[in-house]
Amino acid sequence: MPVAVGPYGQTQPNCFDRVKMGFMMGFAVGMAAGAMFGTFSCLRIGMRGRELMGGVGKTMMQSGGTFGTFMAIGMGIRC
Amino acid sequence: MEEYAREPCPWRIVDDCGGAFTMGAIGGGVFQAVKGFRNAPSGMSHRMRGSLTAIKTRAPQLGGSFAVWGGLFSMIDCGLVKVRGKEDPWNSITSGAMTGAILAARNGPIAMVGSAAMGGILLALIEGAGILLTRFASSQLPTGPQFVEEPAPASMPTPSFGDYRQYQ
Repeated sequence: MPVAVGPYGQTQPNCFDRVKMGFMMGFAVGMAAGAMFGTFSCLRIGMRGRELMGGVGKTMMQSGGTFGTFMAIGMGIRC
Repeated sequence: MEEYAREPCPWRIVDDCGGAFTMGAIGGGVFQAVKGFRNAPSGMSHRMRGSLTAIKTRAPQLGGSFAVWGGLFSMIDCGLVKVRGKEDPWNSITSGAMTGAILAARNGPIAMVGSAAMGGILLALIEGAGILLTRFASSQLPTGPQFVEEPAPASMPTPSFGDYRQYQ
């Protein structure tokens, strides 16, 4: 991978920063995906109203965490 | 996508496949460790052994299915690059959807459509996040050429996520 080591060494983010950024990005993507798929699946099993909100929120957090972890690992193995 | 510094095309398949396997194995190890720990009978040694067993059985499996997803994804991606003659986010989105469809092919057409939609949406989200991140990073920091290359690793892991969702 093109790990560009800048001549000044200032703008190249270090490994931990990259992992952190990967986690944040994966978390955002996972939240969005979880909102979408979680809504469908919660509606399908017949949740409505407040219960639906809770179910969707839970799915969002879960998939955000999963995605974030995997994204962080994906960043980590490439830096 | 053209500003992303990814591997040139034929080698991208190998790169993605291996990267996805590693990622799946490590990530699967982390999650299966927790799962095995929680599912094992009580007692510290039982829990440790349960966790180890879960890792040994499940993590390579997960890595393998990640690798299948990654390899197929970048194969289709490279095919689309050749056919269309350009590299853009639509390539990844289409190949994500096609990968989902192909891997669900044995479950019938309805499952194929569902899986394809899932893969496409997922890849669209990830591509969108990558584009936003690139734009944000380059607008935040004027000395940004190093940052432009940042999302490249991020777009490698893409194939694997759909896989994880699909096989769970």
